[in-house]
Amino acid sequence: MAAFEYRQAEEIREKFAAHGIRYLFLGKSGAILLGFPDTTQDADLYIERTAENCRALAVALHELGFALTPEQTAEIERGKDFIQLKNGPFDLDLVFAPDGIERFDDAWRRRVEVEGFPVCHLDDIIASKAATNRQKDRESLPRLRSFRDWWLQQKR
Amino acid sequence: MVEAGRMSSEMPQNAPTVIPQEWREEFEAAARRPLPLRMRYAFIHTYKPVLDDAPFRAWDSTADYRRWCEENLPGWLGYGSV
Repeated sequence: MAAFEYRQAEEIREKFAAHGIRYLFLGKSGAILLGFPDTTQDADLYIERTAENCRALAVALHELGFALTPEQTAEIERGKDFIQLKNGPFDLDLVFAPDGIERFDDAWRRRVEVEGFPVCHLDDIIASKAATNRQKDRESLPRLRSFRDWWLQQKR
Repeated sequence: MVEAGRMSSEMPQNAPTVIPQEWREEFEAAARRPLPLRMRYAFIHTYKPVLDDAPFRAWDSTADYRRWCEENLPGWLGYGSV
């Protein structure tokens, strides 16, 4: 599996837009879209958990080339809290209930658009990482918080 | 780079930090790069034992996912809670 590329992010953006899917880039992949210079291995998407959105998501993933069985498709349509996909052209984590963010609508209102990519606000990305309390997030949080402050300064 | 951003009073509060000069320079350098190049530098792929060994996994709850990571992944991957 090769690393996730800009071209693949564009494919997600275009396919998801065609199907009217509400989603946000989250996690370090979201921070990178906002300009955070760091490394990561896969893309995390925060998906709005409505029946219509989840059905559309399953269709879009099939069209993007993910080899989903009927059972896997059903799990996506149900909007399980956390789904890891490694059976397509790139790795994707689908997150329906991220730690640290209560409602999709709140994160959607705070989103930032970068070249048409909908991205969680850095405060939501930080809140989510802080809530997980994982070693790898603990290590990246000080730099991410500094980036948030720098990023807000640039926006003023 | 950033086309639009919406701030809200509901947003979680983060106290401002002192930005180390080295990090500030890295942020500024990254901001000068176009997004496709930033992504080329940022997204890498290395094999992660156990995590990469199944094509599809789904958990009913995020707590179940965290627990699975704790119980199944090597500690050095960093997915365990602190």
